Amino acid sequence: MLTIKNLKAAAGEKEILKGLDLEVNAGEVHAIMGPNGSGKSSLAHILSGREGLEVTEGTVTFEGDDLLELEPEERAAAGVFLAFQYPVELPGVNNTHFLKEALNAQRRNRGEEELDSVAFMKLVREKMELVSMKPELLKREVNAGFSGGEKKRNEILQLTLFEPRLAILDETDSGLDIDALRTVSEGVNAVRSEDRAIILVTHYQRLLDYIEPDFVHVLANGRIIRSGDKRLALELEKRGYNWITESEAA
Amino acid sequence: MKESEGNLIRQLVRDHQPAVRSSDSNPWLRVLKKEAASWVSDMTLPNRKMEAWRYTPVDFIDSTAFADVEEGPFEALALTDIEELLLPDSEFTDRIVFVNGYYAPALSSLSEQDGVELYTLEGKRKLPAELKRRIGQADLSDHFFFTLNNALISDGAVIHVSREAAQQHRRIELLHVTVGMPDPVIHNPRHLVVLESGAALELVERYASLGKSRYFNNAVVDIHLSEGASLLHTRLQEESEHAQHLTYLNVNLETGSHYEQVSLALGGAWSRTEARIHFSGEHAHAELDGLILAGSKQLNDVHLEVLHEVPNCTSREHFKGLLDGNGKIVFDGRILVGRDAQKTEAALNNENLMLSRSAEVDTKPQLEIFADDVKCSHGATVGELDKEMLFYLRSRGISKADAERMLCTAFADEVIAAISGPAIRDHVKKVVLRRLADQGKTS
Repeated sequence: MLTIKNLKAAAGEKEILKGLDLEVNAGEVHAIMGPNGSGKSSLAHILSGREGLEVTEGTVTFEGDDLLELEPEERAAAGVFLAFQYPVELPGVNNTHFLKEALNAQRRNRGEEELDSVAFMKLVREKMELVSMKPELLKREVNAGFSGGEKKRNEILQLTLFEPRLAILDETDSGLDIDALRTVSEGVNAVRSEDRAIILVTHYQRLLDYIEPDFVHVLANGRIIRSGDKRLALELEKRGYNWITESEAA
Repeated sequence: MKESEGNLIRQLVRDHQPAVRSSDSNPWLRVLKKEAASWVSDMTLPNRKMEAWRYTPVDFIDSTAFADVEEGPFEALALTDIEELLLPDSEFTDRIVFVNGYYAPALSSLSEQDGVELYTLEGKRKLPAELKRRIGQADLSDHFFFTLNNALISDGAVIHVSREAAQQHRRIELLHVTVGMPDPVIHNPRHLVVLESGAALELVERYASLGKSRYFNNAVVDIHLSEGASLLHTRLQEESEHAQHLTYLNVNLETGSHYEQVSLALGGAWSRTEARIHFSGEHAHAELDGLILAGSKQLNDVHLEVLHEVPNCTSREHFKGLLDGNGKIVFDGRILVGRDAQKTEAALNNENLMLSRSAEVDTKPQLEIFADDVKCSHGATVGELDKEMLFYLRSRGISKADAERMLCTAFADEVIAAISGPAIRDHVKKVVLRRLADQGKTS
């Protein structure tokens, strides 16, 4: 589904990714772990098409297409979803309006029929229940004045609503208490399926107790330096990132 | 001053004067016009050397041969002719319509209820001396366009509201319609709204046009709120894209009165609003929200002067500008707190959103405080669309153009939401959306 080959990227003069390879197939959950500043979030941003990071070398292929050629909205329609580490507040934009516009824009782009208000409301209420989101958050402005947990739930609500082929969760666990972490994870597990892939970008092993990964990769200094299964995450938790970055340097 | 400067407009004033119109049966009005006319011939035309006109060129007044509409022959116009301008519901049973500067009785309807009296300057109904005095006491030496309006007054509404109206929640639309003429014309409507003590009213002051004609609407609106009176004032300027528009608005607040304004300056090629909010009694409150649009070939100027001269009054002014193409917005807001105006609370804010690098904003919020126990603030911002917000929307599948439109609408909605009455609110929403869509096409 997603093939990243020798990806190099820079922010201005600074080299962030230094030749990254990754293969993600449908049905798989990949966790990308690593110390702060290792390039984890940059990778998530490049995949979703954020400006400001320049790809200097390498390729990213998604379902056979050159992902890097697509505009952010085209990537969304193609089925790539990024749950933001810091969901953006949109003062003055009603949450229901935003969710409906987004879903219908994706559907339009794929040549599918748009949902009318009744069908949309039915769907969104169903999904909100799944992520234990207070219904009144629908009437509010997007993320404005939301608590940290509410913002993350709003991201996972979108994940369940848009049903993307590839979901990238950027530090979705950061700033969540245990209860919120559990409901957010339930939301993610609910969309887990044979034809869908998930990339979890996280600093801590904690999230992986709730969402069990098939593969764990350690990203350091712009490259994946170790890959394994969930036991790698546990090992990291026990011994810290130094264990692996130092053994790599040695 | 150049010898030739202002010749065209001064000639127009001279030509206007000798013609004593048949309907011009008000000798006091003639006296006022004559006096104003003599001022016009001596006054310097506004120019960019004057601080108040530094960013707003007024060349058109010198270069256009405006014709004066000598009388209002628009009784021929039926309601169906202005149907496209009417708000689509029954919220406005009270409608006072002016066509090309003149009262159009056939298009107007004012329900027969106690508490609201309507007079027109050119009408037969005799204006009470007190109201005449309020119009006649103008300071003609100060402001060129105000004086020009006085010299050329076409017609005007005098709305007198007494306490009886407070219970009925009256909403009156004062609708100005311009019908296209072959040559550029100038209209000089002159309105007076007086709310007696304890009276309440909702007033929608609106300027619209049929067709894309070229004209200059030079309006003066005088509002007087007596003790404890309350006015909700919506101002909607949606003139033709070739029009020039200037409103000189004067609001006087007596003790305990309450004034709320939502102002929407959307149309016109050249548009300027000068509002003076004057507190003359304690414990009065004024709040003004405004939305200013400036697309390509559009200049939109708002000048505010909030004069706190007595203690214990509060005011808040919040104006938002939205610019695209080579549009230009001028905002000049000044809060003056006089020596005696202790315990004044006043806040003035101007936010601008620029969608294009060729647009221009000149903003100047000012505070002048001469009292020592006050709470005042002022500020201005000029920014572009937030890149993070745009990316967030696009990452959800919303196209760049739609994302931009959503964020602009959100910016404008804060002001639009303050509009009282769903019909006018929906109408404004539609106009703004249409404008944003048009801009999207050209950019």
